[in-house]
Amino acid sequence: MARIIGGIGTSHVPTIGMAYDRKKGADPDWAPLFEGYAPAARWLAEKKPDVLVFFFNDHATTFFFDHYPTFAIGVWDEYPIADEGMGPRPVPALRGHAPLSRHMATALVNDEFDMSVFQDLPLDHGLNSPLTMLYPEAVPAGGWPVSVVPIEVNVLQHPMPTPLRCWKLGQAVRRAVASWPEDLSVVVVGTGGLSHQMNGERAGFNNEAWDREFLELIHTDPMALTRMRLADFARLGGSEGAEVIMWLAMRGALSPDVKKVHQSYYLPMTTAMAVAVFEETP
Amino acid sequence: MTAFSSNPQLAGAERLEGTFIFDLERSARGLRLNRFLHGLVIPERRALFKSDPQAAFDQARLTPEEQRMVLELDWRALIHYGASFFTMEKLGRVSGVSNPAMVAAMRGETLESFLATRRVPGAR
Ligand SMILES: [Fe+2]
Repeated sequence: MARIIGGIGTSHVPTIGMAYDRKKGADPDWAPLFEGYAPAARWLAEKKPDVLVFFFNDHATTFFFDHYPTFAIGVWDEYPIADEGMGPRPVPALRGHAPLSRHMATALVNDEFDMSVFQDLPLDHGLNSPLTMLYPEAVPAGGWPVSVVPIEVNVLQHPMPTPLRCWKLGQAVRRAVASWPEDLSVVVVGTGGLSHQMNGERAGFNNEAWDREFLELIHTDPMALTRMRLADFARLGGSEGAEVIMWLAMRGALSPDVKKVHQSYYLPMTTAMAVAVFEETP
Repeated sequence: MTAFSSNPQLAGAERLEGTFIFDLERSARGLRLNRFLHGLVIPERRALFKSDPQAAFDQARLTPEEQRMVLELDWRALIHYGASFFTMEKLGRVSGVSNPAMVAAMRGETLESFLATRRVPGAR
């Protein structure tokens, strides 16, 4: 059967992708970011998962507000890189896992998560910006050593799913993965955050103390986070920082006693960039 | 700012100053403008916008005020009006304006004074 071997929480700021594309690894302003991702990339290179299930959000790129899905799962075998206004990033199209994702869509709906389902749509920086940091060798190699199952979460337009609902989605994803008969090793990824706000006079807001507390709670007491409301997340981490509820979906797909094997935090400009790796006991 | 009385998840969010929560009311108010901005992900649409902005505005039926905010890249007015930051981001990319510059404008600061408050002003 398919098995979840761990989870990753990661920011998905577009500048993470830009820093990668412009090869900023040796630039002192960007080196801490690359150094923060290196252990996560090493962990993936060592564990070699077959599939990453990605809880991510679209940024009004693929989907628009005339019909914005609350939860949507991709079930195709290839996803182009989205054009966000400057042409797509020079990155190979992402590999999907159509059979597993179709199974997961079916399992989730039968488990009372009524997902929207999409096919061959392009995906934006919400997924592709951390992915190139997690697999830095994929672009030079011209292809991905891993497949993705994209699960889109609406964190743009209220009403958004509640923090508790995201947690439950993660639990349902764990059941869906476990009910796939073939042997596959799976890592769940929750993207977004950490603190930032991109609207109004409060734009540029950060809160490192809250970010550090969040990184602790997501590991040791995620239930405390599920009891918070979206207004609390917006107050503490900025209105856009509330997207960290997608980390709760990742955490909900993991065991209670999962080990945190890596964490890094870097706050250079407008958005706190964090990556954390959680490993299941084999 | 209105109270988000119908959404208990947002109770108290109306007290966050300088914050424009993108809910269904804002989304409805900004729909035509956001549709235009979102359309800039299509190469032909952004080519038209660059070569003949008036033709692009007419096609999208933007009001004179909407046209002004877009032409002048008035980020603060756009967000007040009902634009989503994430559709504005497309206009930023098409116009060569970075996110820190958009953030500075929304705060009512120059880019230089905003960068002076950041830990790594070169990281953009
Ligand atoms: Fe995001």
